[in-house]
Amino acid sequence: MERAGIPAVSLCTDAFRITAEAMAKQMGFPGYRYVVLPHPVASRTEEEITEMVRNALPDVIRVLGAGLTYQGSAEVAPS
Amino acid sequence: MTEVDAAEVRRAMEYYYERGWTDGLPVVPVTESYLAEFVATTSRDPDEVIIPMPHLNRNLTVRLAALNAALAGCLPEYLPVVLAAWDAFLLDGMVTRSIWQSTTGTAPFVVVYGPVRQRIGLNSRGNVWGSGFRANATIGRAIRLGAINGLGLKPHVFDQATQGTPAKYSCCIAEDEEDSPWASLAADNGIGPDDSAVSATVIRSVLHIEARHTTAPEQLAADFADSLCRTGALVRPQATGYVVLNPEHARLLDKHCWSKDDFRTAMVERGWRTYRDLAAAGKEALAIGTGWRLPADHPDARPHEPPEDRDAPVQLISSLDAIQIVVAGAPNAGVSSIVETFSLPGRAPAMVKVEEK
Repeated sequence: MERAGIPAVSLCTDAFRITAEAMAKQMGFPGYRYVVLPHPVASRTEEEITEMVRNALPDVIRVLGAGLTYQGSAEVAPS
Repeated sequence: MTEVDAAEVRRAMEYYYERGWTDGLPVVPVTESYLAEFVATTSRDPDEVIIPMPHLNRNLTVRLAALNAALAGCLPEYLPVVLAAWDAFLLDGMVTRSIWQSTTGTAPFVVVYGPVRQRIGLNSRGNVWGSGFRANATIGRAIRLGAINGLGLKPHVFDQATQGTPAKYSCCIAEDEEDSPWASLAADNGIGPDDSAVSATVIRSVLHIEARHTTAPEQLAADFADSLCRTGALVRPQATGYVVLNPEHARLLDKHCWSKDDFRTAMVERGWRTYRDLAAAGKEALAIGTGWRLPADHPDARPHEPPEDRDAPVQLISSLDAIQIVVAGAPNAGVSSIVETFSLPGRAPAMVKVEEK
């Protein structure tokens, strides 16, 4: 989507960071920026999920506005 | 073998470990000329893609399947069975839907039918799930190594299995057609008597069914249905599986004039849990979107009215297609098994003819 010029942001929990970074590298975007949420998701209450999303929202907006970032960019580290 | 040769073999083995090309056990070193012996057993183009994995920028080709069969310890003449198994996985559809990247951690499961079983020495009798038979051990392992090396599904990276299953090392059995009172699963699915075939799907657990002293088909059906409907395995709305009957259980059913479909029907009739039982495990509702089982008070649960009678049955084995029956094992005790499959329910098994050159 971002290649097509549509702003997008990927979210994953910290349990999947290794896979997320391997996937970014495999797709030709090492250092691709995404937002990391605390694990788990499935077993949290609705209130806990809401709080988690509220906490992550500034990061989501920041990554969404940053455009497609990858190796070579000054801001390569996942947030 | 001289001492120098042994050291060379050890160096080669360590090389494969260093490259991360094993499942943890040593692999057979493969040279170009040894790989050529495998490729020579098939008329297929070595560059033909047999499993496309575009989201990982990976393709499993005939050559890669052959290379991993050789690494796994297969003999070259096993390759047509390995290729038929890969074709069956493509047909089954779950591998290309990224199931081997999933936390569920399913294993490849392969069943072989027809004359190739005797030709390559596949075990269909005693210890059918156990170790001890080269063709079974290495054909199953060829699939797993193909996934690791060919599709790039390494544990902790793209294979995100939470725990996995011991079946991931290798899981290949053959149907004991000679000791079965019925036609094989391959024959049931249109394969001729002179042809060999492979069915393949992805599985979670293999469960023992101990039913040694029963003489009643209905009691067997109750045991199998109860095991397949255990709440611990339920994530999807329905339960699916292979029933692997040892010849003693198969003959007991046949003695009472029960066909395979009679047994499947009896399992469907008993294939339910009460709403109360499901609720006790927090699995009485289905999620919006995924359809996975969860508690009714979960925010993702599809709204539904609980039944007035909480002891009313909720059907979990929904149709005959949810159960596939094969016969295997020694005819020496009333011990059979259920294989919890994870393919899409309500479909015929993915069955592919073995093409021998």
